[in-house]
Amino acid sequence: MGLVIDVGRCTECKRCMIACSLVKSGGVRMSSSRIEIRPNWPETPEIRVCRFEDCAGHPCIESCPVAAISDSDGVVLIDGKACIGCGACVGVCPYQAIKIVSGIALKCDLCGGDPACVKECVTGALQSREVAE
Amino acid sequence: MTGSMFDRMLRIDVGEKTSSLWTVPSAVRSYVGGMGYGVKILCDEVDPRIDPLSPENKILLTVGPLTGTSAPMHAQSCIVTKSPLSGTILNSYAGGFLGPEIKFCGLDGIIFEGAGSEWSILLIDDDKVRFESAVDIVGKTTEEAEAYIKETYGSDYRTVSIGPAGEKSVAMAGAFSETRAFGRGGAGAVFGSKRIKAVGVRGSQSVTTEDASLFSKLTAQNMSVLRDARAEEYGLLGIFSKYGTGGGMPLVQGRGALPTKNHTYGSFDGAENIDGPFYEEKFYTRQIACFGCPVHCGRIHKFSGTDGSKLWGRGPEYETMFSLGSNLLNGDPEVLAEANRLTEQYGVDSLTTGVTIAWALEMAEAGKLGVQGLDLKFGSADAVLRLIHMICMREGIGDMLAKGPKQAALELGNDSIGSAMQVKNSGFAAWMPRRMKGTGLAYATSNRGACHKRAPIGAEIAGVLDMESYEGKAAALIETQNTVNAIFTLISCRFHEFATDHEVYPKLLAAATGRTVQWDEMVTLGERIWNLEKLFNLKAGLTRDDDRLPGKCFEPVLGKTSQSSVIEEEKFEAMLDEYYSLRGWDSEGVPGTKKLEELGIADYAM
Repeated sequence: MGLVIDVGRCTECKRCMIACSLVKSGGVRMSSSRIEIRPNWPETPEIRVCRFEDCAGHPCIESCPVAAISDSDGVVLIDGKACIGCGACVGVCPYQAIKIVSGIALKCDLCGGDPACVKECVTGALQSREVAE
Repeated sequence: MTGSMFDRMLRIDVGEKTSSLWTVPSAVRSYVGGMGYGVKILCDEVDPRIDPLSPENKILLTVGPLTGTSAPMHAQSCIVTKSPLSGTILNSYAGGFLGPEIKFCGLDGIIFEGAGSEWSILLIDDDKVRFESAVDIVGKTTEEAEAYIKETYGSDYRTVSIGPAGEKSVAMAGAFSETRAFGRGGAGAVFGSKRIKAVGVRGSQSVTTEDASLFSKLTAQNMSVLRDARAEEYGLLGIFSKYGTGGGMPLVQGRGALPTKNHTYGSFDGAENIDGPFYEEKFYTRQIACFGCPVHCGRIHKFSGTDGSKLWGRGPEYETMFSLGSNLLNGDPEVLAEANRLTEQYGVDSLTTGVTIAWALEMAEAGKLGVQGLDLKFGSADAVLRLIHMICMREGIGDMLAKGPKQAALELGNDSIGSAMQVKNSGFAAWMPRRMKGTGLAYATSNRGACHKRAPIGAEIAGVLDMESYEGKAAALIETQNTVNAIFTLISCRFHEFATDHEVYPKLLAAATGRTVQWDEMVTLGERIWNLEKLFNLKAGLTRDDDRLPGKCFEPVLGKTSQSSVIEEEKFEAMLDEYYSLRGWDSEGVPGTKKLEELGIADYAM
């Protein structure tokens, strides 16, 4: 499980963010999205999302003072009830994939294995690891 | 709040530095949104006879029921104002991300009123407005203004700004939003008249729909249609996806309808060096999309400037490949890219600017116009780049050209007006009316002047309608004008309709807002809006004379592929009579009482 990213194909349309915010919040609101496309014109954008399989050591898990972050079969999950919003994980994530919204750390949970963002990406900039491989 | 609409707009009095939330009344809500809201409100609140650059003019920046939702190809926002270029009511559109951000503010639009005494930056956070001094960025380019806002106030502001052209009241100045532009009609000069240098918009609200599950299903179906369309190698969306809007240039060239050398020829020998496929293959290119769009027709290129500097900028659109390319005999892709960039930096519409320059070059060729030290000839890079600069800074003859092609020709006199390829002072688009008679009628009758957005271009280029025939063009054009006005109440991208059945629009509208409207009612609304615009223009003083084409259209096109096409003046006048009659207007183009009553707008009669 996981996402494979080909940033060269990203057109910055943000359909991934639209889909993510709809799934996670029930409406379209960019701040609710757990994936973020940050333009860097004229160069390719930065795509901020959890890259578990590329990530060395998963420092977010170690960083959490209340053990709210866990590795669940290759998906890093945050327990929102346990999270105290301290932001320690935000600072250590090498992919800047975690953010604090309304006092709670949020990140991609791969929609339980069927990521909504991947289905919306028409250029193949985002793919599921299983499909890509 | 009704589903995806917030039923409120932000009114900003720039002179008083105050703002207030305005609940959109039901009489306006019946116009759905977007262009409908803009036209209805302007007609209700602004006297058509005002000077467009006076504080009495207003700028209505509107969005629609599908803006900020997951519906693909609904990223654009709309500006309605009185145009300083044409003196008509104007509707102008920009894609990108500004429209959705306005929606994220919990707004259906922003109304700019009055005029400031000092240059200002307006920062809008949801429904709160801050006025900041623009003293540090007056005289700066659109790119610099945008960067200043993002660096000074926050990188998450979406911006719209003007460049030096808008500050100096250049009639065709645009308002630029992160390299997308409200290009046509001079909205940038209206912002300038209000002393608004730039606006930053940042919203925190969520956009939801009335029936989320149905909306999601409809959106998925539409995405599936668009995915197929973008994968079609020879389909329009496929071409735009792969090559940008310039991907269609070879097709127009093949039909002898690519205006060249101020509309003297219908094809350009250098076209293959400035079209979409050329840039895609030879230049560093990134494909860029508007919010939520699977077609990604936008382009970013890197290139070398004429002085050897390394530049980057948005790729020229097809219309600009004509206006700053073929129409000026400019076949150098780097000069075209630089000229395009220059129009964006100065903040001016590349279309009417190019058309005005083409007229100036033709006048220079005829010995009627000159600039000391500058060789004003077609094909000269120096002439194009210098004239853009002179127009935007109003230097030398640039001051005259900055008034638009018709006004410049009137000022020069000397029998030059027939070569100014414009209607209502708005430059022709990249489609040759002598080859495409319906498109000629579209240019003539458009309420904003020489408009290609509501023309039977696709049908004429594809041969569904005989390009050269006058028959049936008036009826086909009216259908197009009403239909496009209908989808502009939703501010659908003009390209969305290329692959989408019209029946989708009322379905999306119903799922988004709970409002049940049939498609034919939407088309009637489009017609209602068209008539309101026409009445505004008539009250502003326009007449049948303003619905005519320049003299050059009545002379044959030169060149091998254009078959000496010509518009016969009598047949054109007959076509215009037919158009007025089918519209329910009299021979002067004044809407009749019966038509206005039928449309429920008798109160707006002359």
